[in-house]
Amino acid sequence: MDILEAKHITKVFPGVKALDSVDVTFRQGEVHCIMGENGAGKSTLIKCLTGVYTPEEGEVFIGGESALKNKKLFQKIAYVPQEIDLFMDMSVAENLFIPYERSGTHGLVHKSKVEERARPLLEKLDIGVSPESLVRDIPVSKQQLLQIARATALEGCDVLMLDEPTTSLTTKDTEKLFDIIHTLRNQNKAIIFISHKLDEIFEIGDVITVFCNGKKVSHAPLNQVDIPWVVKQMTGKSMDEAESYSPDHVGEEVVLDVKDLTGDMFQNVSFCLRKGEILGFAGLVGAGRSEVMQGILGYLPVYEGSVTYYGSPWKLGDTSYSVRKGLLYIPEERRAQGILANLSVRENISVSALKELGGKFGLSKTKEQNLADKVIDDYDIKTPDIEKEIKFLSGGNQQKAIIGRSMSAKPRILIFDEPTKGIDIGTKTEIYRLMKKLAQQGIGIILISSELDEIKKCANRIICMHQGRVTGEFWAGTDKEAVLSSILGLDSKTEGEEVNE
Amino acid sequence: MNKLLKNNITLTAGVLILLMVTATIFSPHFLTLFNLQSVMRDLAFIGMIAVAQSLLLLIGELDLSVGKIATLSGVLSGLLMSVLKCNPFLAFLIGLLAGTILGIMNGLLVAKLRLNSMVATIGMQSLYGGITLVLTKGKAITDISPSVSFLGKGNIAGIPMPFLFMLVILAVILFLVKKTKTGRYIYAIGNSREASRIMGIRVEFIRIMLFAIVGFISALAGILYVARLGSAQASIGNNWPMNSIAACVIGGILLTGGVGSPLGALLGAAIISVISNVIVLFGVNVYWQEAVNGIVIVAAIALPSLVTIIRGRKKIRKGNPERLQQAGKGES
Repeated sequence: MDILEAKHITKVFPGVKALDSVDVTFRQGEVHCIMGENGAGKSTLIKCLTGVYTPEEGEVFIGGESALKNKKLFQKIAYVPQEIDLFMDMSVAENLFIPYERSGTHGLVHKSKVEERARPLLEKLDIGVSPESLVRDIPVSKQQLLQIARATALEGCDVLMLDEPTTSLTTKDTEKLFDIIHTLRNQNKAIIFISHKLDEIFEIGDVITVFCNGKKVSHAPLNQVDIPWVVKQMTGKSMDEAESYSPDHVGEEVVLDVKDLTGDMFQNVSFCLRKGEILGFAGLVGAGRSEVMQGILGYLPVYEGSVTYYGSPWKLGDTSYSVRKGLLYIPEERRAQGILANLSVRENISVSALKELGGKFGLSKTKEQNLADKVIDDYDIKTPDIEKEIKFLSGGNQQKAIIGRSMSAKPRILIFDEPTKGIDIGTKTEIYRLMKKLAQQGIGIILISSELDEIKKCANRIICMHQGRVTGEFWAGTDKEAVLSSILGLDSKTEGEEVNE
Repeated sequence: MNKLLKNNITLTAGVLILLMVTATIFSPHFLTLFNLQSVMRDLAFIGMIAVAQSLLLLIGELDLSVGKIATLSGVLSGLLMSVLKCNPFLAFLIGLLAGTILGIMNGLLVAKLRLNSMVATIGMQSLYGGITLVLTKGKAITDISPSVSFLGKGNIAGIPMPFLFMLVILAVILFLVKKTKTGRYIYAIGNSREASRIMGIRVEFIRIMLFAIVGFISALAGILYVARLGSAQASIGNNWPMNSIAACVIGGILLTGGVGSPLGALLGAAIISVISNVIVLFGVNVYWQEAVNGIVIVAAIALPSLVTIIRGRKKIRKGNPERLQQAGKGES
């Protein structure tokens, strides 16, 4: 049965049609995947379907009734946002049932009763945390599962909307999530699944709707289409699966030599990076890869071990030293650690190159604008103008601005931490090409990624980490299974293919 | 950001002008030289402190000990001059140095010991106030050298000396904030301390430096205030912390950091000074003055926020391109 239906929805913002006469129907007992590049209108659609926006034209029907006339109907739709959106300093149980009015908790709130009610829910989803523990203390992937549990705890919800739910999940938790989705589907709920990960969509989805520039471009049952078809629908281009982005020539010179580094989340990590090389770091979420890099940068403490940079000893614990010497880190947490949200694109780009922008009377605005224009041009950053606050740019464009900013500091080593997280396929390819270009200019590049395919496409060598330790080192050509077992910490010897240092 | 900033500054300036026009219409005394000089003298102090405070608010910190730093530095200078018969300008310099050191101490507590700046400076202001009491034993110190008291009482071309000091401070701070690398880093830190550290900005150094600058300016204000009164006493600067923060908020500086301009802080301070003046001119009952002052300050703080709410509503009704970008592209 059609539970949620959008008819001819048009949402106009000055100058742009964010949604152009869109028709979508969501059925009970069906997993409906939605795909589209950043800016294709997915979020606007979600906001119209959850009642945040009122469309200029068209109607939203929930269970056959007009939801625009009866806004209460929107309560039937549970939405799980992409970012963790929980009360960090409240307990798991409290997070599950807030708002109490909608989760069937009446009268006074009894701590023990709430926790008792939470237990079966947590067990059902196999989350494995106790209801009284603080959300802050549980791992990110459990938090993500908790968000989903929370949405299902609401009374009378018929539709579950998941916005990129797997970005911070481990492989195991992703499987768990898929089990949950299957269970809910069997309970006749409608599931809306938004993701950039194509393999997941084919694994879990029943039907797919693809958006491009505010229009619905196609709709099909997933068992009748394949990945290249989806990519073509999304971008209008066909995908070149075979294109490799790893640098052709790697220098002999070792630019970074790390020996037995130990910190809070990593132990005895050793590796070396060569000039013009892309070195991939594979592992699960929480394997300690980001922490190692942040330790080398000086952002996190290092207790033992040594680092040699272009043959000379490296000072740890001082980010300003690292950047001055030419080691830059492009963080995974773009919002918290990358962008300066309220500053303009111009200011975000120039902030790393200010010492070259001096004029007669302090900083020269002209020089600064020229630099920003050049970076925007070089890295193809799409922004209405350079004075726009960066928070209004799409994730991919923010990422390109951060790469451009880092490049204007003239780096010799660049560390990319999950550079394509939450970025659409078109922009992903651009970033791969960019990394290859930079490596071929002689910059040593470290690429941390949880997508093994991404690492295999880009890196010359792959280092695997598991629970804070290096568990293997491979040439990029090594087959996926060997790398995977190393990532999972399984003790499989693949002697022949391991790199002999 | 600049557009928003300009809007906020124009708004604050508009409110100030409106206030002054109203005062001129309803009170014949407002636009007299004597009254304007008195407003300027008042504004000089609260303005200096507000401009200093704005630096800290821009990085998401605040200093509640500005008043007590001012008192301690003023009293120290006064004591050196009157009791120890020290050279007045040497005494002046030692006072400034003392204020700067107190500022650095605040900065070290916040940056190195990682204390919350509000809590740390609440504690420190009590310590500084206590030391002042020990030094003065609760009595006022008179006998301030006339060459120094000119700096507090004198006028040049009808403009009070402290006001001129304030203008110099404002110019220097505006240059620092708008035209130097450090200034840009201040905004960067205010937007994201983590991103700034990752970018290699010396975050802790800049934080301590700003606390030092605030200590220096507070001491200057304190010593000038002593010069103005001709006596040093423990009670000066009591309402400076709150008024300076209120001035910054009125002037459009976000308490969370990273947005606003010291110029806005000065305009906010001017609004507060004019309001206190007008309350006196309008003959509000002495016992009511404080309460009325409070109401007007809260109203002034609420105004920018009200404007934002109303603008936001209009935009939602019309649809808003920025929202579109957030909506359509912000998912990653």
